[in-house]
This record gives sequence, C-alpha cells and structure tokens, in this order.
Amino acid sequence: MTAKTGKATRILGALALFFVVLGLYWGLVMAPPDAYQGDTQRIMYLHIPSILIAYLSFFIVFVGSCLFLWKRERRDDVLAYAAAEIGVLFTALTIIEGAIWGKPTWGVWWTWDARLTLTAILLLIFIAYLMLRALIEEEDRAAVCGAILGIIGFLDIPLIHMSVYWWRTLHQPPSILRPDKAPWDNIHPAMLVALGLNFVAFVLLYFYLLSRRIRLGERQEELRQRKLYGRR
Amino acid sequence: MSHWGYVFLAYGIVWAAILIYLATLRSRLKKIEVELAVIDSSPEPEAARDPRTAGPRR
Repeated sequence: MTAKTGKATRILGALALFFVVLGLYWGLVMAPPDAYQGDTQRIMYLHIPSILIAYLSFFIVFVGSCLFLWKRERRDDVLAYAAAEIGVLFTALTIIEGAIWGKPTWGVWWTWDARLTLTAILLLIFIAYLMLRALIEEEDRAAVCGAILGIIGFLDIPLIHMSVYWWRTLHQPPSILRPDKAPWDNIHPAMLVALGLNFVAFVLLYFYLLSRRIRLGERQEELRQRKLYGRR
Repeated sequence: MSHWGYVFLAYGIVWAAILIYLATLRSRLKKIEVELAVIDSSPEPEAARDPRTAGPRR
C-alpha cells in the first residue's frame, strides 16, 4: 500500500465514522416514529442500507469473477474474494435485522416467505463460496471454482428483488423506490433524510472495509508468492 | 420486549458485528505482516537465489 492509498483509506474511514454518527443520531433521535409500527420501524435505517450493500458487494463479486475468468489476473480474484466476505457479513446482518423487525410486526422471527427464503439461499451460496476458497488448497483452482460460484450466486439477486412482485409474500413491496411515486411522496421527509444518511454511511463504511480487505488479500498473495518462489 | 428493546437489539448486533469484523481484519493483516517479516529476515534459500534452480518449491 502506498502512502497515498493509505491516506485515502484513513480519510474514507473518518468520513464513514462521521456519517455513521450522524446517521445514528438522525435515525434514533430526529426521525419520528412510524404511525403504525412505532419506534420499531427505526430498524429500517439499518435494514435497507444493509441489503443494498450486500447487493453491491455481490455485484462486485460478479464483475471481479467475470474479469478473472476472462483475463486470469490475480487482482480481480482478490477483489471478488474480498467483496464476497463483506457481502456475507451484510447479508447475515440483513437477515438478523429482518428477524428482529419481524417479531414485533409480523409476530414471528422467521417465515418461509419467498424473499426471506431467497435471501437465506443467497447467504448459503456465499458461505459455500468462502468454504470452497478455504478448503481447496491449490489457489488457482480455488479461484476458478470460486469465480464460477460467485457468478451463479449473483443470479439470485434479481430473483430476490422481483420475488415480492412474482409471488404473494408477507414481505412488503418497495415503499420508497416505487415506479409510480417519488420517494418524498411515500415517506416523511425526516425519515427519508435518516435513510439517506444511513445509506451514505454504509456505502462509505463498505468501501473502507473493502479497501482494508483488499489490502489483506494482496499481502496474502505476496506471502503465497514468496513461499512458492522465495524472496524477491 | 418494548419497541425500543428491539431497536437497540438490532443496532447493537449490527455495530458489534461490524466492529468485530474490523478487528479481525486488523489481526489477520498483522499476522501476515509478521510472517512476511520473518521471511524477509531469514537467509534466502539457495534455490531462490540460483536462477537455474529457481521455481516453485513444494
């Protein structure tokens, strides 16, 4: 890591921290409680950014995997592997937040609803991706198998997104990004600001975590090369 | 559990998980740096220095 990228990562981390604090304040203090769900609805300020970050992460896995299979450059594999790990974290958090939100609103922690089930399948696919990467000793073979699984796993995301339209589900359809209405017509402005701030915080935090995870992947690759070919 | 109980449970789990992940990233990176430093400080093996014999060591 050069001094320049190190500084950029630190600035990104500081910006992320600033927006996290601002998002927490706006989400927990400034935004009003929901008319029907009361304060429980504040979980939305975590839930929506978490799943959008998971989608973004698996999109990066998809792009990195396609590039790796095409060009066979290690940096694309390092990127895909890093994004998969963080994507698993945010998908797991989305499911946990959803369960905690589901209990007071639906009366259950979990139900075999199409969207919930497809999200759980997404999590399992990418846990399998991480296990596969850890279990196959030959690094190049692990990277190729991982790339194929990463591409297949990403195809679950359009299904998750469309599941609320295609099937009768307990999970509500989108209430903010609706094709028939502008976001500010569907939600209280203070709630929209809270959601926006938390989304920005999660995006900044995501790229901070990704840059640190990529750094780790690069150093792991360097260690592997040195063990194979000796000091250069 | 009250409404705020669910909210704090969700926020607590999310931020604790992110902080733990960040801490594990740091410790994993530190471990790799130590391993790299050990390789750098150890005498270079003959095979790595001699271009005729340099290649994958298995």
